[in-house]
Amino acid sequence: MTDQDWLRQLRVEIIAAWAIAKKDMLIYYLKPNIIVSGMLFPLFMFLAFAVGRPGEPSVLIPGLIAITILFSASSIEPVSIPIERRMKTFDRLISAPVSLHAVVLGESMSGFLYSIGIASVPFLAGLIIFGTPILQIAPLVIGVLLTSFCFATMGTLFASYPTESPGDIMSMLNVVRLPLIFISGIFIPIDQIPGIAQYATYFSPLTYGNDLIHAAYSGTTSFSPAVDIMMLLVFILIFQFAANRLYKKFNE
Amino acid sequence: MNAIEVSHLTKHFGRLVALNDITFSVKEGETFGFLGPNGAGKTTTIRILTGITVPTGGDAQLFGRDIVKDTIAARRTMGIVHETSNIYTDLTAWQNLMFTAQLYDVQKALREKRGRELLELFGLWERKDDKTNGYSKGMKRRLTIAMGLINDPRLIFLDEPTSGLDVQSNLIIRDVIRDLNAKGVTVFLTTHNIEEANLTCDRVAIINRGMIAAIDSPEKLKGTIQSVQSVEVALDPVPAHAEEGLRGIATVSEVRKLGDKFRLITEDPPTVIDGVMAYAKAQKARVISVNTYGPSLEDVFIRLTGLDVRTKGVRTVD
Repeated sequence: MTDQDWLRQLRVEIIAAWAIAKKDMLIYYLKPNIIVSGMLFPLFMFLAFAVGRPGEPSVLIPGLIAITILFSASSIEPVSIPIERRMKTFDRLISAPVSLHAVVLGESMSGFLYSIGIASVPFLAGLIIFGTPILQIAPLVIGVLLTSFCFATMGTLFASYPTESPGDIMSMLNVVRLPLIFISGIFIPIDQIPGIAQYATYFSPLTYGNDLIHAAYSGTTSFSPAVDIMMLLVFILIFQFAANRLYKKFNE
Repeated sequence: MNAIEVSHLTKHFGRLVALNDITFSVKEGETFGFLGPNGAGKTTTIRILTGITVPTGGDAQLFGRDIVKDTIAARRTMGIVHETSNIYTDLTAWQNLMFTAQLYDVQKALREKRGRELLELFGLWERKDDKTNGYSKGMKRRLTIAMGLINDPRLIFLDEPTSGLDVQSNLIIRDVIRDLNAKGVTVFLTTHNIEEANLTCDRVAIINRGMIAAIDSPEKLKGTIQSVQSVEVALDPVPAHAEEGLRGIATVSEVRKLGDKFRLITEDPPTVIDGVMAYAKAQKARVISVNTYGPSLEDVFIRLTGLDVRTKGVRTVD
């Protein structure tokens, strides 16, 4: 393949990925099960653990943004892909003249954009209602973007499981998502997490996303922003690579 | 160059052998029928040829491009119409077409031009902005085929294109297949409707238990089983126990009741006609009509696949 062919194919892949993302936006964003799992579930989870506990908005808002991103970004594909398998429209995607990377990227982009939109609600609520000051804008923007894409890719990875029922994937996903909330420093600071669970925090992408977002409001981080960014990129690559492999394997 | 070149293709799912060393080719511009009973390997073959599934052994080339090693380039040459009308029912017909065109990298001006042409061709232009969840089964099928043609493919895979459709949709789709063939597009067709394959296809392959049982033009295939000729007769009034009586005529091997007529299977039609006349006279019945038929493609199919679908009241295959 010449450089020109390679560039042409890259352009085709990006156009196809964007088309897939747009299609998902039109079809799935307002599906009831996505609204419940992507918007209402994180809100009620947060209220259940935050109401009545002492805490400034500047501490609570970053946590709410992080939880919202976790649930909203990873909620589109586990619903859309099983439905598409059932409707056989998924065959249309995997038989198109683009690589599986483009399909995985397109699916992840829809979760990513959905998450950005939903995360803006607690962000704006913090800014307008509580007047929560933002000390550093860069960690907030980078943290929201990377964390959203990371969890959107995680959702796409889980959705590779060959089932036609969104419930099957949501069940598996919640086994991972729910513990992540408690080991990622959102409700309990990492240095106060007991025993071996503290080591588990290092394996949670939410730890690094939350750390970056928290830095925007508090000015301090548990890790350095560079470590947070690098770890989120590593998780994105792992999820993207694994998703690509699994879609290929399950289609064979 | 052949449009499709399949060589010693095998596919195993665990211990199950779905395809067992099949070899065939499809010439460019040919309409090629692929028939076989349920589980014969048709879908597996299509999934391999469209690059969805990887074969266990052998290879397949589309216009000289290996479907495993050069999947994307091979896919650019093809359009695919899956067995299920896999359209997005929350989108309009126009959105469905434009989405598919983007997946196939059809430029904006061209995709809008082709989109309009195809929707007009399939009688859907007036409903282009309606969400397709309100479409009839036939309209959904027509849209699915339009989506398969949006990239102006050199080769199109049609998986059961007319199964269970209304007469209007059937006629439109058959006309489109003929037009495609006239324009030099290669058509790879699987169908339940053996008569459709007989009327539409230049050549037909019959696959059974993962192996190609026969491959030739419909007429040549029919010529291989001359023993399955038949005489169709209508009597008035229909004598009591007519099936039994007709079965007793010399050289009749089988009698099938078809509405108000009887189809007598034989290898010697003249003898059977004589016998029918004698039987009618003896029963004081008039012979309203007599027709002789050669073997049908369905007869060939039944013979080669070992199916006796009529005894189960089933006349179609997957």
